[in-house]
Amino acid sequence: MTLYGYAGKILRLDMTHRKAIAIDTEPYRRWGGGHGMGAALFWDYCKDKTITDGRHPANVCCVMTSPLCGTIVPSAGGRCEVVGVGVGQYPVSWFTRTNFGGRFSTMLKYAGWDGIVIEGRSDSPVWVDIRDGQVIFHDAQDLWGKDTWATQLEIRDLIKIRRGTKTHWRDLQALPLAKSDDPPGEDFGRTTQKPAILCIGPAGEHQTCHAALIHDAGNGAGQGGLGAVWGSKNLKAISVLGTGGIQVHDPKALLRARMITKEKYVTRWQAPDFQAWTRIGRLPNPIIQAAPPTDERRPQSCQGCINGCRSRYNVGYGNESACQETFWYGPYVRKVAKSRAEDTEINLKGADIVQKYGLNSFVLQPGLHWLEHLYEDGVLGPGRPIPSDLPWESIGTLDFAEKIVRALSTRTDIGADLADGWVQAALKWGREEDLHTGALQFSYWGVPEHGYDPRAELEWGYGSLMGDRDTNTHCFNYIFTNVSAAFAFGKPLRIGAEEMVNLHAKKMSPYAKDRPEVLDYSDANMYSEAVAQIVRWQQHYCRFYKNSALYCDLKWPDFVNTNVPDLEGATASPDAGEQVFWNAVTGDTLRFEDGIEIGRRIWNLDNAIWVLQGRHRDMVHFAPYIYKTVYNKGEVFPFFMWTCRDDDGKWHYKDLMGRSMDKAKFEEWKTIFYRLEGWDTKTGWPKRSTLEQMDMGFVADALQAAGRLGEEAS
Amino acid sequence: MNFSLSQPSEPLSRKILSPVPFKDRFPAGRLKPPVGILPGDVRSLPELHLFLEPDVASLPGINLKALAEWVEVSIGDKELAEAIRAIVDTAVNYVEDCLRVYEAVGVRLDQARGIIKENAV
Repeated sequence: MTLYGYAGKILRLDMTHRKAIAIDTEPYRRWGGGHGMGAALFWDYCKDKTITDGRHPANVCCVMTSPLCGTIVPSAGGRCEVVGVGVGQYPVSWFTRTNFGGRFSTMLKYAGWDGIVIEGRSDSPVWVDIRDGQVIFHDAQDLWGKDTWATQLEIRDLIKIRRGTKTHWRDLQALPLAKSDDPPGEDFGRTTQKPAILCIGPAGEHQTCHAALIHDAGNGAGQGGLGAVWGSKNLKAISVLGTGGIQVHDPKALLRARMITKEKYVTRWQAPDFQAWTRIGRLPNPIIQAAPPTDERRPQSCQGCINGCRSRYNVGYGNESACQETFWYGPYVRKVAKSRAEDTEINLKGADIVQKYGLNSFVLQPGLHWLEHLYEDGVLGPGRPIPSDLPWESIGTLDFAEKIVRALSTRTDIGADLADGWVQAALKWGREEDLHTGALQFSYWGVPEHGYDPRAELEWGYGSLMGDRDTNTHCFNYIFTNVSAAFAFGKPLRIGAEEMVNLHAKKMSPYAKDRPEVLDYSDANMYSEAVAQIVRWQQHYCRFYKNSALYCDLKWPDFVNTNVPDLEGATASPDAGEQVFWNAVTGDTLRFEDGIEIGRRIWNLDNAIWVLQGRHRDMVHFAPYIYKTVYNKGEVFPFFMWTCRDDDGKWHYKDLMGRSMDKAKFEEWKTIFYRLEGWDTKTGWPKRSTLEQMDMGFVADALQAAGRLGEEAS
Repeated sequence: MNFSLSQPSEPLSRKILSPVPFKDRFPAGRLKPPVGILPGDVRSLPELHLFLEPDVASLPGINLKALAEWVEVSIGDKELAEAIRAIVDTAVNYVEDCLRVYEAVGVRLDQARGIIKENAV
C-alpha cells in the first residue's frame, strides 16, 4: 500500500557498531511525522527513559521529516524536527525538541528516508554519507575540530562535488568513497544537487549545553543542546544526496490549495500592503535584526517556502542567518560602532561566528547581559571571584565576540563552567540571588526568557513551563507586535480588540471554539480555566501541525488576515487550511480538529517521557524572579499591548507592563490545567483512562511499571 | 524640526561625547519581531544616536521622559534635556517623538564634535 507523502522507510544508525538498519515507516504513521514520529521512535528505541543528560549513551536522537517535506505546501516543506534528551537544562534536561529549516529534510525524503534514529556511541568520530539507499560510515578524524562551514565544504570536496553554481549530472554510484565490496541493492540515480549536510562545530564536539546542529550556512537547530548529543555520540555530520521523489495523493488538490493561498490570502505584490495583519500573507521579508548590509541581496528560503526570510549578500557575510542570531550581540555592538554600517557588519559577522562554532546564540540574549553586569560589578574578570581572562573591556568588538564564542564552545575560561548549564553555573558561582532578582533571566527549565515575559504573554510562558523548553511558538504574539507597532506609530488599528478575539475563537476548535475569553490577558483572567484552554490548544496545535507536520512557526497559524475581506485567515479554512494540504499530500480525510487530537496524543507521549525522567508537579515552577519581581520592561519598551476585557466585559488592547505573578494562584492554575488534560492533579502524571482513550495503553503500562501512573481518583 | 541649541563649551562637549559609568547607564531595549523585546542600555549620546537611528525591522524602546532626566543629570547637558522635554510635551506619536529626539541628539553631537575639532587645531 502506498504511503502517500512518506518515503516509507526510517533509517536507524547504530553508532556503536556502525551499522545502518532500515525499518518501515508504516507502524509510526499514526504519529504523523516529525516530532510525533520521533517521540514514538524514542519511546521504542531508548532503553533507559530515566536518563536526564542527553550525553548518556542510552540517549536516542531522532532527525525527522514530515509528509509535507519536499512538497509545495506553503511554508511547510523545508522544516526538520530533532528530538532526544537534551543537555544543560535545570533541574533536569528533559526529552526535548528542536527544529531547523533549509533543504535537509527534503533531500532525506528524496533519498528514501522519513527520518533517522541515532543510537549508541561510536568509539571515534564518524560522519555518515547517505546516497539514496546506501549508507556509509566514514572516519571523521580529519573533520573533528573543524567549524561547521569548513566541515561541509570538506565533505563536498571528499565526494567531489564541484563548488559554485556550474554543475552537471553526476551518477551517485560514481562518486568517490562508495564501498566497492558493498554494492547497493537498487539502481542509483543521478543528480545535479549538492548534498544536504547537517553537522556540529566545536561547541558540539566539546559537548556544551549551547551546542547546535547546523545545516548549510545559517540553518540551526539550537535549543536543547542536541549538538552536544551528536558530539557525545562522536557523530560529526550526516550528508544526504537523494534522487527520488515524493508521491502526492492528490496533486490537483495540492496545487489548487496552493493557488488559493496565493490569490486569496497573500498580499498582492503588484500593490503590496506592507502593514497587513496576517502571518501567511505578508510580503516576503528578510528577518534580519540589523540594518541590511547592502541592497545587493538574493532571498534564500527553506524548501517550498513562500516567504524567503533569509538572504545571501554580495558583501559575503551574514549569509542565510536570520532572526535572533543576527542580533545576539547588538546591544554591545552599538557601544563601539561608529556608524550603522559598522553596526550591521559586526552583528552579521557575529552571526557567522556562532554559525561556524555551532553555538546556540539564544543563550547569549539574556546571558551576556548577566555576564556584563558581573564584570561591571567587579565579580567577573581577571583575578576576580569568577576568574575570566576574556577582554571584557572590549565587549562590543568583533574580537570579543569571537573570543567569548570560542570560550563557550571549547569549555575554556568561563565556558568551562557554563558548558553544563547557565543556572548550574550561577549556583556554582554562588549567584543564586540572581535567579531571585532577575539579573539572570532564565525563566523556566534553566533556559532563557525569549523576549515575551511569562507574566504578560501568558500562553508563551505557561506553555513553556508545562512543556520542556522555551516554547518558541509565535501563534499569538503577533497580536502584541502588530498592536504595539500601531500604537507606536499612531496609526489606526486594523482590527479592533473584540473583533480580534472573535476571529481567533472561530478557529480554535475544539477547546476554545467560540470562546473569545481564552484571549483575555487581563489580571482577572490570568489564572483561569480559559487561559488553561489556550495553553492546551497551542501545545496540541503545535505538537501536530508545527512540530510534526512541520508547518513553519513564523507563518502558521494564520488566524486573521487583512488581505481577505472577512478578515478570516487561512488556518483551519476549508480552502487552504492546514488540514487541506495534509489531506492532499497523504490522502487522509483529516478534519482540522483531528490534527489537534493527534497533537494531544503526542503531547501526552512527551509528558509520559518527562514523568519517567522524574517530572512531578512540584518541580513545575518558574524561576523565582518571575514571582518576586514585577514585569518592568516598560523602561525598555513603552507598552506591551494585549487583548483584555474590562469589568463591563468590553474588550480593549491594554498595556500589561508592571504586572506580577502570584505563586499560590499559579499553583491553582496548574491544578486546572492538569484536570483538563486528564492528568493526576497531585502529581501531574497521566492517568490510565486518559491514555487508553487515546489508544496509548502501552504508555500507561510503562508508567505503572515505573510506579508513576497518575491516580484515577485525583 | 529645527533645534536651536547654543554652542556647548569644550568641557561639556567632552562630556557629550564620552560614556557615563556603568552605574549611570540608561535602559533602552528594542522590539524586534519575532524575537521579542531585547533589553539593553546606552552609556553615551553617540550610542544613543545610533540606537535611535530609524530601522525598518524594529522599534527602539526607550522612556523619553526619563531620558531627559538622564541627559541632564548623567550627561550634564541641561539644554539638550530641555529640548527633549519639549519634544515629549508636544508629543505626536511615540515613533515620531523618537525621530525628533534622534535629530536633536544628532545636532548636539555635531556641535560637540565641531567644538572639539576646532579646539584641537
